[in-house]
Amino acid sequence: MTEISVNVNGRVRKRVVKDNELLLDFLRDRLEVRSVKAACWRGECGLCTVKLDGSLVKSCLVLAVEADGKEVMTVEGITPDGDLAPIQKAFVEHGAAQCGFCTPAWVLATHELLRKKPGATEEDLTEATSGLICRCGTYNQIKEAVAEISGAKPIRRVREKLAEA
Amino acid sequence: MSFGSPYVTLPDFTYHRPRSLEETIGLLGQYGDEAKVMGGGVGLIAFMKERLMSPAHVVDVKEVEELREVSLVPGKGIAIGAAVTLSGLLEGSYLTGGYSVLREALARIADPMIRSRATLVGNVCEAIPWVDSPPALISLDASLEIAGPKGRRTVRVADFIRGPVDVDLGPDEIVTSVSIPEVKGRRGAFEKFTGGSEFSLASVAVTISGEGKGRKARAVYGGVNSIPARSAEVEEDISAGLTPANVKKAAEAAARSVECMDDVLASSAYRKHLVRVITTKALNRLMQP
Repeated sequence: MTEISVNVNGRVRKRVVKDNELLLDFLRDRLEVRSVKAACWRGECGLCTVKLDGSLVKSCLVLAVEADGKEVMTVEGITPDGDLAPIQKAFVEHGAAQCGFCTPAWVLATHELLRKKPGATEEDLTEATSGLICRCGTYNQIKEAVAEISGAKPIRRVREKLAEA
Repeated sequence: MSFGSPYVTLPDFTYHRPRSLEETIGLLGQYGDEAKVMGGGVGLIAFMKERLMSPAHVVDVKEVEELREVSLVPGKGIAIGAAVTLSGLLEGSYLTGGYSVLREALARIADPMIRSRATLVGNVCEAIPWVDSPPALISLDASLEIAGPKGRRTVRVADFIRGPVDVDLGPDEIVTSVSIPEVKGRRGAFEKFTGGSEFSLASVAVTISGEGKGRKARAVYGGVNSIPARSAEVEEDISAGLTPANVKKAAEAAARSVECMDDVLASSAYRKHLVRVITTKALNRLMQP
């Protein structure tokens, strides 16, 4: 058992954790940050992605004790004032969420991509989110949402393509 | 919430976060085979979830300053510390020129979230047959620096990997860094085929240096067998000069000489086909100046 102190979305949280506790369990069960999803538990789906001291990581492959003294950001942290970020509005506009389970991870990852590279291309998006899975298959809508913000390469909307076909 | 399944919980262990190499070696000497070194943890945590490993002590070396360094000495080579992540290496632009074959291999490992945790040394120490860094490192004649209670030693990556998940490392030892010698004019290319999965069904790392009769080549194949293997026949064909005819000859030699296993992922015949294709792709790229 170790006492750890982690800055989560700007708030310092202290808890006593077991050495074998995952950061994922710490965030969900101890701090009730439920936007961080538990699905595959083995680093494949990416839905437990959080930002740990500046880099995106899969929290099912990180121990809670490793986050001691560090900063963790989840999707709630991208707009501290409670408004929607531009990428979140674009997700709504383009229907980039279906069941919504994976959406927090996708929003966090695409927001981070656009912060680092405002003109991100479709290729950048594919590379940056290659560790994320959406079982509903909203990949095209996510591409549209990101393209709207980055303006790098206009992608024709799926429904426009369907209308032409 | 954990459901009690071995796939989501970790076995009990005591976590250690040493701050120096001396302290790390002390812990390994004290706990021996009860301890496991954790670099990025992406391999170890996954293995622990599946109970393939249940160490009583986990020694996290991420905060050990000596292991976080990359030292690039022009004319000599590069030394990459055990706690250096794949992202750190790729973003640091260290792997240019004669080291580009390693950059090509690392850039396609897993995904950016995994690469920001996984370390190069951890990747080698796992010694899983389909892991991509060992073929690239062997093509660069890389060595590992190992430290333990009895002192330090150096071992070539090619000798370090003895079999699948079997490496030349004592329970009280730690790999501190990987060193790659600089070779003037060395060029390289890495190719792999994964079939859409995360496993390389076949990979090849090729390096060439020197000109004319002094030309030296290395061709190292991964994913096709239990450990990475060089092909002397392919290396001989490449050393004779990179011409379209020799590339064809080398690709045939690869399919003939590289031993390929049959497993659930692919048949031996299919792997031999892949070996021919990736050899051609790598050499075609190297033929362009």
